[in-house]
Amino acid sequence: MSKEIKKITILPGINKFSEKENFKRIDIKKGEVVAIVGHTGSGKSQLLYDLERLAQKDTKSKRKILVNDKTPDKELRFDPKRKLIASLAQSMNFFTDMSVEDFLQLHLESRGKKPKQGLIEEVIKEANRITGEAISPKMNLLNLSGGQSRALMVSDVANISISPIILIDEIENAGIRKEEAIKILVEEGKIILIVTHDPSLALSADKRIIIKNGGIVKILNTSLKEKGIAHYLNWIEGYGLDIREKIRKGEKIKNVGIYCEPIKSKNNI
Amino acid sequence: MKFIIFAGTPGSGKTSIIKYIIQELKDDFKLFFAKFDCLQTLDDERIAKEYKIPSVKKLAGELCPDHYTALEIPKIIKENHDKDIIILETAGLCLRCSPYIKEGLGINVLDIISGDPSRYGPILTEADIVAISKGDLISQAEREIFRTKVLKANPGAKTIEVNGLTGEGAIDISELIKKSSDIKNEKLTLKHSMPSAICGYCYGNKIIDEKETQKRYLAGKELKNLVPNLNCGKCGFKSCNEFIRAVLDRKAKKEQCPFIIKNYKQK
Repeated sequence: MSKEIKKITILPGINKFSEKENFKRIDIKKGEVVAIVGHTGSGKSQLLYDLERLAQKDTKSKRKILVNDKTPDKELRFDPKRKLIASLAQSMNFFTDMSVEDFLQLHLESRGKKPKQGLIEEVIKEANRITGEAISPKMNLLNLSGGQSRALMVSDVANISISPIILIDEIENAGIRKEEAIKILVEEGKIILIVTHDPSLALSADKRIIIKNGGIVKILNTSLKEKGIAHYLNWIEGYGLDIREKIRKGEKIKNVGIYCEPIKSKNNI
Repeated sequence: MKFIIFAGTPGSGKTSIIKYIIQELKDDFKLFFAKFDCLQTLDDERIAKEYKIPSVKKLAGELCPDHYTALEIPKIIKENHDKDIIILETAGLCLRCSPYIKEGLGINVLDIISGDPSRYGPILTEADIVAISKGDLISQAEREIFRTKVLKANPGAKTIEVNGLTGEGAIDISELIKKSSDIKNEKLTLKHSMPSAICGYCYGNKIIDEKETQKRYLAGKELKNLVPNLNCGKCGFKSCNEFIRAVLDRKAKKEQCPFIIKNYKQK
């Protein structure tokens, strides 16, 4: 039973000094990407946690989360099979000793799904769009590089752990094409929240929530200019990844042809 | 009174999550914390200081930690009959055993990167709640696969993801503790039997040899029939078995046990 999620709402709680957060409500609609920014230890992960367990004033922050303007059912909160939220944590490695294809098969089974013909190939194909180093089905998970692992996790969340809300904790530390990764995740009109220290990611989101001392202190809508800057930063980083691949292949880098491509459309983040 | 037992391999995050649970419960309930370990621990003192609740440390030493836990549970209950919730943490486990009791709540803290759940015995399969820790270290896909494997090993368990750093899951476990049933004035029952292991090695024999170990077993058995087997502590050892071992190793004298003399006289 998957009810459609049109929006989620954060109602204010308290910060580390028990002071009330200074906002009325934050609405996040289907298809939106929201960045959560702030210094290390400021309480960013607490906000992800509140969202993950659909807090009802029962966590440290005393925030309340609404789904489609209503208090969510208890089962939605506690039954993992009905959970609305998939998350990409900071992990960079797999711990299971098996091949990529067997692993994806096992994950499909543990979700109680009948594997669609070609789905596993599709997961690997999408992962390969994100990483510069191609993953093949027979590779052992333990031998994947950090970038390959991360790319496979992203593609798995997008294609197997299908959930309407995706929480991402710091996608940047991985040597992957971030822009491509976010695109794969957003494609199907989901709600995405990203905890990040990365300027290009923060500026490519639709909104950003600024956190200090455990409380939300500001909510900013990203301006068109900021989105342009994000696009430029992303392009430079993508260029860096290309050069990295060339260096690893043993090629010589002759000239640095940096020029900026124009933004294709407003929604191209 | 509720009796909650936390068990799990060393380093799985038991103490960290227990701290969050104590924080959650301490204002509404009278708590007592007992920490069982094999060799040493300071967790009982740290928790007592940090949360201002009474605590005790119990070190199994030469004894099988699960046997020791079972021996000590009645004493802990007797000394703390005025408390609402007793939280017992035990780490010194072999995977063959489980310290849980039927009348209380058994919680296994299971480290998600410690390998396949099918390798664990009663410590996992007899638990009422399986608290899966360190999930933040791995991907969602592996978390879901791990949970499926846990439920295969223990189909009746409630699984809760916990994080000792952030306190994730502490509220959920606290709620289940509040809802769990009280123990009454009944005899408590272990969920799983202890190992069937009484041999010369149990009495401290170190030489790997059939005859040597039989000799040691017979000498041990003779003493075992003379001591009261009440673990009263009057000999200076916390259990009769440790006292017997010490006598056989010539580290203690028979006469240190006041009952042995009495039994001799009766015979």
